[in-house]
Amino acid sequence: MENGDFLDLLKDRGQLIPPPVVSGQTTIEEAEGTTILALCYADGVLIAGDRRATMGNTVVYDRADKVLCIDDEVVMGLSGSPAIAYEIARMLEISFQYYRRSQLQVLSLEGKLRSLSRLLRENLSLAMQGIGAVVPILAAYDPEADQGRIYFYDLLGAQFESADFCTTGSGSPGIRGALYYLNRWGERPLAQMDEDAALTLVLKMLETAAEYDTATGGYRASARVFPQVMRIAADGITTVDEERLEQIYQADLQGGD
Amino acid sequence: MHEEPYRWVEAMRNRRDYLDDQLQNASPVVGLPYTQGVLLLTTTPGPRKIFEVYNQIAFAAIGHPADMEKLRKVVIDIAHTEAFNLSARDINLQRLVSFGIGPLMKTAFDEIFRSPFTARVLMVELDPPNQQDVFYTIDADGSFASRQYGATVSGTAASAEGIVAQLDGAGGDDLSLEEALQRGLEAWGVGRLLGRDPEADVAAGAVRDYLGEVLPDLKVEAAVLDRSINGKTKFRLLAADELDAALAAYVK
Repeated sequence: MENGDFLDLLKDRGQLIPPPVVSGQTTIEEAEGTTILALCYADGVLIAGDRRATMGNTVVYDRADKVLCIDDEVVMGLSGSPAIAYEIARMLEISFQYYRRSQLQVLSLEGKLRSLSRLLRENLSLAMQGIGAVVPILAAYDPEADQGRIYFYDLLGAQFESADFCTTGSGSPGIRGALYYLNRWGERPLAQMDEDAALTLVLKMLETAAEYDTATGGYRASARVFPQVMRIAADGITTVDEERLEQIYQADLQGGD
Repeated sequence: MHEEPYRWVEAMRNRRDYLDDQLQNASPVVGLPYTQGVLLLTTTPGPRKIFEVYNQIAFAAIGHPADMEKLRKVVIDIAHTEAFNLSARDINLQRLVSFGIGPLMKTAFDEIFRSPFTARVLMVELDPPNQQDVFYTIDADGSFASRQYGATVSGTAASAEGIVAQLDGAGGDDLSLEEALQRGLEAWGVGRLLGRDPEADVAAGAVRDYLGEVLPDLKVEAAVLDRSINGKTKFRLLAADELDAALAAYVK
């Protein structure tokens, strides 16, 4: 039976190139470094990422998009190897479209989560060789439960759900503790924050990560480099525009560089 | 025996006759532009006949439902593998037809010991690049043709010609959706009448009477490629209430 699986279609056609097996220590230096943060707030989920891509100690790009809208329901935050991560995002986007068009029904959220697990598993050999590892966060709105959801994965493709917040990337250790503290002993739990408060917190966390992690870029007012922030709620997925981010930076974060 | 030229020609003729016979009673699919994009319209006993195959490309067909499904899948497979290997911007109707579904249907038609596709296909692209034609029709033998303004696939040549003549006189691409639905239904009615009797009266009054008579018992299926839809996908099946307003003009 035709199952609407795009990965299988590419394999059948010999168009899915398996990852190479590299023997010994790899000398490839690849772009990496990131802070991705997702949190549940009163209306849904905010997912945000900095814009810096690094290669060793070198900053190679300061406008990298690491928070990608996969379809009308799902957003993925990428950390790890951009080459593989972008390929996975592209594969997911086309897989979901392919399934919907060929099977005449939308792939369930569970099916979408499973698709990402499979792609991470396909990439396992590269990840185990120390190159091409990807650790994504996936944020979605669950219409049945009427709430936002955050999922994270390990290198082998295991999927976990986070109830309140989730971070990934080299900058994440610097903010996980702070988020835990605020969620537990702050004025109110993250899930009860309104959008303005949640947005302000997200930007503060990204600035904190940038302070302690050289591979995470901060807000740069002079170059107009803003982090990416997406909002996932009952009314769909929207990108928080730069004017609004700038307002918050000026009002609550005392500006940038 | 089919190595003999005469036998081969005879076998081809038989296949053509067979396909004409199988398809002659099919309910036509009509495609025409309107102010926001393109409308496709037909009637169906149940299974869908109009589908989205890519962001800006729709597929409709008459014929055997299983063959329609096979062809639809072929087009979807090509479009999505190309989109993955290249880019969404490289997917256009002219390439899908000329290098995809057209040759495939021709090959199946030519293979004497294999069943041909019992289907005629109408494909549409919203705002194609380089002013290419909006509509492509692909016959069961793989021959294809393109048109800029309005097209159809139908059971008989007389029916198809009548529909195209009606669409050509329907008046530009500045119709509202409701106007386009009515023009589409009237063109469909012309096609249906001429399909049964090539000499049938297809004056406006006769067509309206015919529509009033048959539409209450039929399921109308219609979809649009609508450039005002936000997002990549421009395809939308019309809901029953959108169709009811157009049908009300004919159904007493």
